[in-house]
Amino acid sequence: MRSSAFTLAIGYVAVGVVALFLFAAPLWYAWRVTIQDSRTEILSADAQRLSDVFRRDGAAGLQKFIDTRVAMQIANERILLLTDAAYHRVAGNLAGWPSAVPATAGTYTVPVEFDGRRTQAVFVHASLPGGYELLVGRNLARFEPLERRFWYGLSAAAGALVLAGALIGALTRRALLTRIHSIRRTASAIVHGDLSHRLPTYDNGEELDTLSRMINGMLDQIEQLVHGIRNVSNSIAHDLRTPLAELRSRLEELSRGRPSGERAVAELDAAVADVDRVIHIFNALLRLAEIDTGMRRAGFLQVDAAEVAAAAVEFYLPAAELKGITLLFRSSGTAVLSGDRLLLAQALGNLIDNALKYAARGIVTVETRQRSDGAVEISVSDHGPGICEAERPRVVERFYRGDRSRGTQGSGLGLSLVEAVAKLHGSALELSDRGPGLRVVLTMALSGAAPTALAESRATTSPEAPACAQASKSPG
Amino acid sequence: MRVLLVEDNERVAQFIVSGLQDAGHAIDHTADGNDVLSWAARAAYDVIIVDRMLPGQVDGLAIIQALRKSEQRTPILILSALAAVDERIRGLRAGGDDYLTKPFAFEELLARLDALTRRTPGDGRATWLEVGDLRMDLLTRKVTRAQRKIALQPREFKLLEYLMRHADQVVTRTMLLENVWDYHFDPQTNVVDVHVSRLRQKIESDAEPPLLRTVRNAGYTLTASA
Repeated sequence: MRSSAFTLAIGYVAVGVVALFLFAAPLWYAWRVTIQDSRTEILSADAQRLSDVFRRDGAAGLQKFIDTRVAMQIANERILLLTDAAYHRVAGNLAGWPSAVPATAGTYTVPVEFDGRRTQAVFVHASLPGGYELLVGRNLARFEPLERRFWYGLSAAAGALVLAGALIGALTRRALLTRIHSIRRTASAIVHGDLSHRLPTYDNGEELDTLSRMINGMLDQIEQLVHGIRNVSNSIAHDLRTPLAELRSRLEELSRGRPSGERAVAELDAAVADVDRVIHIFNALLRLAEIDTGMRRAGFLQVDAAEVAAAAVEFYLPAAELKGITLLFRSSGTAVLSGDRLLLAQALGNLIDNALKYAARGIVTVETRQRSDGAVEISVSDHGPGICEAERPRVVERFYRGDRSRGTQGSGLGLSLVEAVAKLHGSALELSDRGPGLRVVLTMALSGAAPTALAESRATTSPEAPACAQASKSPG
Repeated sequence: MRVLLVEDNERVAQFIVSGLQDAGHAIDHTADGNDVLSWAARAAYDVIIVDRMLPGQVDGLAIIQALRKSEQRTPILILSALAAVDERIRGLRAGGDDYLTKPFAFEELLARLDALTRRTPGDGRATWLEVGDLRMDLLTRKVTRAQRKIALQPREFKLLEYLMRHADQVVTRTMLLENVWDYHFDPQTNVVDVHVSRLRQKIESDAEPPLLRTVRNAGYTLTASA
């Protein structure tokens, strides 16, 4: 299998080997130039000296001189040979004229039989007067192991580099593949519908870890969305199917029983009411979808929240009085924000309506306030039973209906709409306990952009928050 | 009144046609949006009902724009399944006078058609409105019934004004929400009924004959008692 880690390792090894040879090349060059060339120079100088001896003392003198020199040497490195015109040995430590050395004068590196062994030697060949030929050479046998060791060393280093590269490449590849396999396994599990899987993370801050964290964050989001959709579709199925089932049975009964006059009309009216219920839910859902797209933001204008709230309070006032609830409105002057007047009115209406519905008596207070930083706060507080802490995050879920709201009219979409409107205005819905009572606060920045601290809807804790179990037992 | 209906859905068209005929109105129906201009030129209609999505990718808005371009002043009610607020605004901008979302109650349609066709009895000019012995002075903002003075809150005044301007017509809760409170959404409560019953208490004392009638499944009518 091709792997990017392995390709990378091979690349590194290749670069390493090239670097090694680049390092060795000048060394080799220096060896050649300084050692070999100076050796040739020494040999030439030696040949010159021997020639001088020949010229001064004649062939016999040189023969004697050579014999002395040969006898004197310890390392047995120097090779000397004096021959006559027919290349027959006159003096020296070489048995005969080496066949590889040509007849012309010059410097040659050739194989030669010396000291009973075949070896490499460098020769300076000089022709002397009287047909005598002189060979001054040096046995290279001593340098051969050095040279060999150099090349062995270089190859060994290159080999080690390749091996280490391959090993590191394989290990990296294995580590990488393990991580990628786990990502792939997770992804395929998700593709098959199991959204609970997460990538392993190691807290070491490396790139793959960061990526895994990001993917996990994305998965959290997706799971939440899917969960939401699943919830909504279940609820739609339930909340729309129930009135539709009632409607169907009503119509079927009507068709079968064929009641006459009054009863038929009453049944038909009830059927129309059933349809209206479905339409209400439908409209509320469409409205939510419309808000969720964020398209309404394009039509944002400067709105005075205090004015909107005052109108909403005035609208609900007679209904509150009818229930014996005091509906109060308090504001500290104008509270201007960029928003959608109609949606704010509807959201506020839903909050007031809820407060009137669940707070059986007492005072419901609507308050608007422009903070010094320009943000606008709209709050609705009641003295009702409140919402227990565990239930608070759930009440904004679509179709969620608390135990308390069973038996009352409503679609379970009221607070969802409030939350959607809040989100559209870059705000958050904050539910808190007043012990007793519920306080709902919307805080909206002037620009309509979400202040980071408010990005999430939150439910504040209070020691006096009603317990869920207790709430569920209370009559609906 | 004489109504022209442009609607391609046979079932809905049948529902409207028979309903309006039962209410004693004359109605012409076409499913083809391209016919509207010639139909409207041939006869003087009191109101035209136009569906938004017509066959052949015709948007009812294009028809309305064409009608308005040809100097056609007949009130137009737009009927549409497109309920979003900006769709409604687009409809009214194109030249529609009212916008009704499908599905709708027939009484709602009828009330809105009534309001469209009868909305100019001395509008704008009159400084007072009168229904039976109920009198509203629009300048001094005083309301009296016979000689009895009636004190109203500003919103109650607006509510009564709307009802008086549409006297003898059925006014639905949605129409009141839209025109008195400017709330173009459904608050899903009976708050409008509470407002109306309060107003009723103020304008009808025990001894006086009733003025404000509740119309079942539809809304309210302000009528001078016979």
